[in-house]
Amino acid sequence: MSDVPILLEMRSITKEFPGVKALSDVNLVVRAGEIHAICGENGAGKSTLMKVLSGVYPHGTYDGKIIYQGSESKFSDIRASENAGIVIIHQELALIPGMSIAENIFLGNEPRKRGAIDWKAANRMALDLMARVGLEEDPDTLIKDIGVGKQQLVEIAKAFAKDVKLLILDEPTAALNEADSKHLLDLLRGFRSRGITSIMISHKLNEIEAIADQITILRDGRTVETLDVKADGVDEDRIVRGMVGRELSSRFPDHTPKIGDVFFEVRNWNVRHPISAERQVCKNESFVVRRGEIVGFAGLMGAGRTELAMSVFGRSYGVYESGTIIKDGKEIVLKSVADAIDNGLAYVSEDRKAIGLNLLDDIKTSTVAAKLSKISHHGVLNEVEEYQAAEAYRKELRTKAPTVDESVSKLSGGNQQKVVLAKWMFTDPDLLILDEPTRGIDVGAKYEIYGIIQRLADQGKGVVVISSELPELIGLCDRIYTVFEGAITGEIARADATPENLMKQMTSTKKMATR
Amino acid sequence: MRKFFGTSVVAISAAAMLALAGCGSGRDGDSDSGGEAAKGFAANSLIGVALPAKTSENWVLAGDLFSNGLKEAGFQADVQYAGASTTVADQQAQITAMTTKGAKVIVIGATDAAQLSTQVAAAHAAGAKVIAYDRLIKNTPDLDYYVAFDNFKVGQLQGQALLDGMKAKKPNGPYNIELFSGSPDDNNAGVFFDGAMSVLKPEIDKGTVVVASGQKEVKQTAIQGWKAEGAQARMDQLLTSTYGSKELDGVLSPNDTLARAILTSVKGAGKPTPVVTGQDSEVESVKSIVAGEQYMTINKDTRNLVKETINMVKALQAGDKPQVNDTKSYNNGSKVVDTYLLPPVAVTKANAAEAYASDPKLAPLTK
Amino acid sequence: MSRLKDLQKNLFGGTTSNARQFGMIFTLVAIVVLFQILTDGLTLRSDNLIALFQQNSYILILAIGMLMVIVAGHIDLSVGSVAAFAGILVAKSMTEWDLPWPAAIVFGLAIGAAIGAWQGFWVAYIGVPAFIVTLAGMLLFRGGNQFIGNAQSIPVPEGFREIGSGFLPEFGPNTGYNNATLLLGLAAALAVVWREIQARKTRRAMDADPAPMWISVLRMAIMVGVIAFAALRFASGRVGTSFPISGIILLVLVIAYSFYTRNTAGGRHIYAVGGNSRAAELSGVKLKRVNFFVMMNMSVLAALAGMIFVARSAASGPQDGNGWELDAIAAVFIGGAAVAGGIGTISGSIVGGLVMAVLNNGLQLMGVGTDRVQIIKGLVLLLAVAIDVYNKSQGRFSIIGSLMRPFRREDSAPPASPPDAEREPAKAAVSG
Repeated sequence: MSDVPILLEMRSITKEFPGVKALSDVNLVVRAGEIHAICGENGAGKSTLMKVLSGVYPHGTYDGKIIYQGSESKFSDIRASENAGIVIIHQELALIPGMSIAENIFLGNEPRKRGAIDWKAANRMALDLMARVGLEEDPDTLIKDIGVGKQQLVEIAKAFAKDVKLLILDEPTAALNEADSKHLLDLLRGFRSRGITSIMISHKLNEIEAIADQITILRDGRTVETLDVKADGVDEDRIVRGMVGRELSSRFPDHTPKIGDVFFEVRNWNVRHPISAERQVCKNESFVVRRGEIVGFAGLMGAGRTELAMSVFGRSYGVYESGTIIKDGKEIVLKSVADAIDNGLAYVSEDRKAIGLNLLDDIKTSTVAAKLSKISHHGVLNEVEEYQAAEAYRKELRTKAPTVDESVSKLSGGNQQKVVLAKWMFTDPDLLILDEPTRGIDVGAKYEIYGIIQRLADQGKGVVVISSELPELIGLCDRIYTVFEGAITGEIARADATPENLMKQMTSTKKMATR
Repeated sequence: MRKFFGTSVVAISAAAMLALAGCGSGRDGDSDSGGEAAKGFAANSLIGVALPAKTSENWVLAGDLFSNGLKEAGFQADVQYAGASTTVADQQAQITAMTTKGAKVIVIGATDAAQLSTQVAAAHAAGAKVIAYDRLIKNTPDLDYYVAFDNFKVGQLQGQALLDGMKAKKPNGPYNIELFSGSPDDNNAGVFFDGAMSVLKPEIDKGTVVVASGQKEVKQTAIQGWKAEGAQARMDQLLTSTYGSKELDGVLSPNDTLARAILTSVKGAGKPTPVVTGQDSEVESVKSIVAGEQYMTINKDTRNLVKETINMVKALQAGDKPQVNDTKSYNNGSKVVDTYLLPPVAVTKANAAEAYASDPKLAPLTK
Repeated sequence: MSRLKDLQKNLFGGTTSNARQFGMIFTLVAIVVLFQILTDGLTLRSDNLIALFQQNSYILILAIGMLMVIVAGHIDLSVGSVAAFAGILVAKSMTEWDLPWPAAIVFGLAIGAAIGAWQGFWVAYIGVPAFIVTLAGMLLFRGGNQFIGNAQSIPVPEGFREIGSGFLPEFGPNTGYNNATLLLGLAAALAVVWREIQARKTRRAMDADPAPMWISVLRMAIMVGVIAFAALRFASGRVGTSFPISGIILLVLVIAYSFYTRNTAGGRHIYAVGGNSRAAELSGVKLKRVNFFVMMNMSVLAALAGMIFVARSAASGPQDGNGWELDAIAAVFIGGAAVAGGIGTISGSIVGGLVMAVLNNGLQLMGVGTDRVQIIKGLVLLLAVAIDVYNKSQGRFSIIGSLMRPFRREDSAPPASPPDAEREPAKAAVSG
């Protein structure tokens, strides 16, 4: 590869924040036309490095040099880097839901004719750009009416509208299902063949292994190494070793399940969409959970797994139609979240920041939030008990925070997730439903969370895990249900679970139990 | 630890008690309040003037006249207007602040004449004399004097002018008229209306004057907040409902702002100009009278009213009893207040030049 | 050095975050001192202090309710109109229907509750934004006030006036002071000491070191000193005047609601709903009930504020309540609440309201006209919040946000007790 010209070189970049050295002497060499992956645990400095590159942290606020297209660049803001052809696509998409695809693509960059926006030209150009990213939609379609996968493509088309030379993608597939992820990765390969350089930040090591030419690994704000995927014969374990600085013998802790009897059962569960009543989001679904068992729910994005979980959890989603819940042999009716909590259910949502936590709270307040009655007497809170409970969970789950007075907004994703887990463990549930429990969490923290889940199961609780990462389900769960379009299409025991047969049932309506 | 703690508690409490006992300098009794009036006070004392919000030029003029007049007389003047939105609360706070500052006389042009009794009582208790300016403060025994134009007379003049004006246009009745009155929270509005009705009522009973819409109750004729748009809206509505074919001969309007709004409405409807009364001698209305549109206004020269008020302050300073000319008519609900009444003057096109001869702003308009 | 650090850390609370609240108190103290100098000592004279409390108690009562509404993520624009509506009905009930005044007060609170239920219903159960519901309420109840009162002023009887213009009674031996006020001050001082002891106990129970003893004593000494000063001031007013009844009502409410918002599950639910309503709902918080409660509570307090104003003015008038909502909202935001909800404290709002009140009063004593007072108040509001926002965005010490839930992550804890009820609100914020 060394004969290919260097497009970008970042030389000994050091960036300090008050009290923290976020980057220290980081080097990055990206050659023209390659896909360059940047890996590292959360907090390793990946995003900071990209912010330095794209001018979010302007020249002068960091030490070191950026050499781009052969000369030193001193970007003063994002505009400057975009003008040079460097476009960054963030994890949180910067699209306006109420505007059309074409309007979004040209936002801030509208083609004009005599001062007015030339919509004819805009739509023509939009169609052209959409074709380049393989997006088949009417340019007048509103963003909110298309899926996340297509929204991602709109973002990329928007980058092309700015004449991109170096495309930076921050966790591009985090929110995408398998099919959309695959489409996106194919697209990146296509760009490579057309000579467009990409930098990709991702936690999904299998994707990186599949697509990247070079991998730069960061740890604690320093460059660990740069690997050439083909030449060095890199695999996932090799990347993990670089990221965590040690060998992770297994990505899942050893665990021998102690499975008891069925104690929780949902029968013939039917739920309708909260707004459009003709849409049925849960179609006659039934499942069981045993004590000490970890049960997985596999399915594509939008298959209705979250909807099922939330509708069971005190009807917090959709309009209940019919179906029964049986716990410990007795039918229970859960009309509200409070009912569900009182009956020993806990639901850890997939979106920590949006609906899992109040980011204004500290660890202490968050930990006790779902069961204040446990620390109050006649409605009056006991701060000592609150503190003691929170402190106990902080120690047990090894949440990294100086004290339980720390605001949860200051914690990393993994530690936030531990706080959410603590919050639900505090309610003494019999059944924990964990929706995407490791999304956006780095490898080390994932391992710890898996351990916590296994410990909970060993205490005789039932655990339901909803995940879009098939390896995670296969590695963690004792039994996996597959869900497709609001119906349970299969049930697979751990021994029989492979990505292939899961995928097959996740994408077909035919019910085939292979137990 | 605990012991030390207990000790400090006792120590601190003891210190506090000592402090309480030690600083026992006593408190001001209410010795200088009450009836023993007329001892006078220092010639450079503070005089407070609390006026309503700056919503009409009259109040602004009055404020300026008070500042200058009181200073010329050797007093310190503190002239305050209520704020635009929180009027009553502002005025209450201003009167209290004047009391705190030790004003010897507080002149109040009340925003809401019924809501100041607590502050007036406090001022009185602190030894200040309170003079109600233009609006009689209600329900308080602590108000000392009242200075105003004779508002009943104002109404009488308006009523008489309305009859005269209509007769001059059309020698024989019956005349169709409409009645307007001022804001119901203004004590004076009712007095104007009663004055006017004392003249009009006999004619209405005789049938020579007809309120064609039938709306004769104050509830129906009142215009909240003296707002021009309120009067205009009511007139628009009367013209549509009552004067499709009938002719409107005259309108009793309590002041100039409303009079002009009424005229605007009539003009807008394409009707001939009726005889419209007014009050206050506002610039626009004087122009209108000279142009032959509005029929009359009342000249209540603010200069005279302020001058009389300052004369009262001077008398109080000297320890004399201020001059009053009515000790019977003005009962504020708690007592009959000693009052000095000034006579109003009716002004029509005929006597405008003469009436405003001494007014630097209005005199040129009449030439 | 370390002593200084100890002092900084511990004087105004047990943890570093509490050091922040120093900023807000400091602002208030600075303004008081400034005006004390500018007005030649009039500001802290007893008659002025008494008047200050009487004049502003109703706005501060509104600020209590408004804080809870804003923390829950709503706003209430109708408080002024609701106050006026309740005020006129209460006045009428006494003058025209001959209701005895204690019954009239209950009647007034019931009106507030009914109006609150109406507004809460739309906000919580139908989901109409509170801004719209209360904008409608503002028109509705203002219109109702005019309709019922015909825009006339209706006087109220003597007994009723006590809640707005009454004072603690005179009794006992002639000490040269109002004895009732002195006792109140003594009770407050004891409550402060008791709380400090409780706070230290709590800290120890949390395995944390309590502040050094000398700091506890210093803190108590400062607070007891302030209370003693205030008590003496209030007690030495002109005979017949002392600590106002409306001030007592305010104190009771401040203490009760401070306790409710920070020490009970119900209070915590309000913060949870404002911080992240969906997360709160998924934690078992009954969203609709919380929203209904804060809106209803606000209207009850608005009715109370309206009655106190009417009592002080000796009559209900058509201008009552005009612009009150803005004063209450300003107090809450100056006191460090977040526009988006989830953040703010009762004590912060009270201090915010007092900053505005002292400013207003001081400028009036200096003879500054209302036009200029309004300009200055507008600038102060903007500046206070702007400095706060700027500092937060810079990650620096936030002056106004200093009052962000000072009690929520605090060492103090134990339920404030009845004797606590007699503290002065300005100090409620300082207390550990």
